[in-house]
Amino acid sequence: MFEQVEDFHRPASVREAVRLLESGKGRARIVAGGTDLVVDGDSTVRALIDITHSGIAYIRKRGGSCAIGAATTMAELEESRIIRGLGGGILARAAATCGSIQIRGVATVGGNLANGSPAADLVTPLLVLDAVVVVADAKGRRKLPIAEYLAVRGARAMRQSLLVEVTVPRPLGRRCGWSFQKLGRTALDISVVNVAAGLQVDAAGRIQWARLALGAVAPTAIRAGATEKNLRGRGLDAEAVAEAAEGVMREVSPITDLRASATYRREMCRVLTRRALVECAAQAGCAI
Amino acid sequence: MTTMQLRVTVNREPRKWSIAPGDLLLDVLRREGFFGVKRGCEKGECGSCTVLVDGRAVNSCLMFAAKVEGCEVLTIEGLAEGDRLDPIQGAFLDHGAAQCGFCTPGMILAAKALLDKNPHPNEAEVREAMAGVLCRCTGYIKPVEAVLAAAKQPAKRATRKRQPAGVVR
Repeated sequence: MFEQVEDFHRPASVREAVRLLESGKGRARIVAGGTDLVVDGDSTVRALIDITHSGIAYIRKRGGSCAIGAATTMAELEESRIIRGLGGGILARAAATCGSIQIRGVATVGGNLANGSPAADLVTPLLVLDAVVVVADAKGRRKLPIAEYLAVRGARAMRQSLLVEVTVPRPLGRRCGWSFQKLGRTALDISVVNVAAGLQVDAAGRIQWARLALGAVAPTAIRAGATEKNLRGRGLDAEAVAEAAEGVMREVSPITDLRASATYRREMCRVLTRRALVECAAQAGCAI
Repeated sequence: MTTMQLRVTVNREPRKWSIAPGDLLLDVLRREGFFGVKRGCEKGECGSCTVLVDGRAVNSCLMFAAKVEGCEVLTIEGLAEGDRLDPIQGAFLDHGAAQCGFCTPGMILAAKALLDKNPHPNEAEVREAMAGVLCRCTGYIKPVEAVLAAAKQPAKRATRKRQPAGVVR
């Protein structure tokens, strides 16, 4: 399948990886776990650049943030105390659903984002955690909010850049609630729909802010901005949850494919959003 | 075609192989005679090609061979020590946990990765560890029971004689 590959590089730094990517003239591919790249089987690939020795497999607390190197595996996220303690552990929970143990031991954060699947399980938690993506190219490094990264990921200008880090600000404050909900056909399947939610309530039980992200129901995972806005300032009760669950159905644009119909996906957005908000409410100390 | 040298330890023996840069680990292992590594779906779905790389279960069909440079690879052929079976192999025999046997190397290696890390798993943990290996005949109850039984045995006492080839108990 990859008979045409002429070189397998193991750069020891991001700088070297980026240089190799540039000199590959569009025919070099980054490989970390390989679990998407090998399945894609792109026969135009002439060089592979293995970034698992490039110093970007780490999980670190940095100031008020948590920095996750792009070559960090799903298994490392699942097992990390830092990640399990971050935003209700939704990123660790999502990582634990990314396929079998064989897959999770090698599949990486960077791969999950860079592959660009609308169903990628880490994307919805990263959207509600307000993550920032760090990208490197020959000119240097720059930061992009994750939603912006998702929008420009496929652009020609991005082809010679390497995703090196995901930074998550550590959520502060009391009475926060977090949830990750995934619906798959089997325990190991990719998402038919996935939903992540985060919110904070004030002392009176009113919602200060709410974030809702939905995956596999639009060309990229999306934030449900209108529904989030409607939740702000309201009491977190059964009525608010029901309205929000209805609301997200109007913000998604699912398709029909072999896993599910558009109608079913839209309906499941309602169900998973309700479950997510109920879990958030329980964590934030609101009885529903 | 370009080639490169791969230095890897397979079943405790150092090897130096000539590979193509795009070779997959599954293909290289089978080319070198490790036929216990089964070619199934070649998409990371069935787990029949599971091997351990530095103790971690991976799908060898999705891994470029060049990635195991300097690593220790364990295939089913390396599990028994001399003619002493690994306790998991013994438990699979005792429980009749194999039928056609195609998935069995992957099942046993997935179980080994689990027990090396967590010697006393509960049933849910065993099922989670085995979920990446599909069986189309026996099903999963007997393999899960076998792994739980292997986990109960004290490691030293558990070894047993290898069966002559072709004999099915």
